[in-house]
Amino acid sequence: MTMSDAEKGGFISKVIGPKRRWRQYKARVRQLPPNYRTAVEAIERYLMHFVPTDDDNAASMFEDLADLFEQAAADGTSIREIVGNDPGEFAEVFVQNYSEGGYVPTRARKRLTDAISRAEEEKPR
Amino acid sequence: MGKQATEMLKGTLEGIVLAILSGRPAYGYEITTWLRDQGFSDIAEGTVYALLVRLEHRGFVDVEKVPSEKGPPRKVYSLNAQGQEYLEEFWRTWSFLTERLEQLREGGR
Repeated sequence: MTMSDAEKGGFISKVIGPKRRWRQYKARVRQLPPNYRTAVEAIERYLMHFVPTDDDNAASMFEDLADLFEQAAADGTSIREIVGNDPGEFAEVFVQNYSEGGYVPTRARKRLTDAISRAEEEKPR
Repeated sequence: MGKQATEMLKGTLEGIVLAILSGRPAYGYEITTWLRDQGFSDIAEGTVYALLVRLEHRGFVDVEKVPSEKGPPRKVYSLNAQGQEYLEEFWRTWSFLTERLEQLREGGR
């Protein structure tokens, strides 16, 4: 493999890889029983608020979500037993696992941390 | 289970799950069932699952995909050396906390 092939491969897998993984994820969700599918799509919409900038991280997040619901559907676990009494809280615990370096809340947190450090260094009047 | 118990459980759930896994490998649903049997009735399977994913990302557990009779393969989690180390730290922290809280309850310093 030549140098440019390697670069091209890397580029293509970066752009196409996550898209293919996304399509595969969507196909898995379509196979779920209708009410599980409805639940996954609702969680998916919620997770979208955490605007991913790292496609690989986002792809593995949705793949893990599909894993959870496929297994739960096979075990006959009810939707309420999966997400608990507070679905928003479940989704937030879930998203935290993938937020390293990519998601807006991480960047917002860094901005806050940096601003406080600067404020601390400022001379008192 | 009351709201207060749920809140307190949150901070210790990681240690609890590692402690369960130190006995034997398990998959997510088994852990949730065990917790429910122990009286933690509010615990959601998704919460345990998300926690297991986090433990995996942090390198505390090893994961093996085991075929199941029905449905997709199950992810079976087992504690590794790094997880064992973290669990020991958890128990030290736990002892410290319970000791101090017990002192507080007895009104001592």
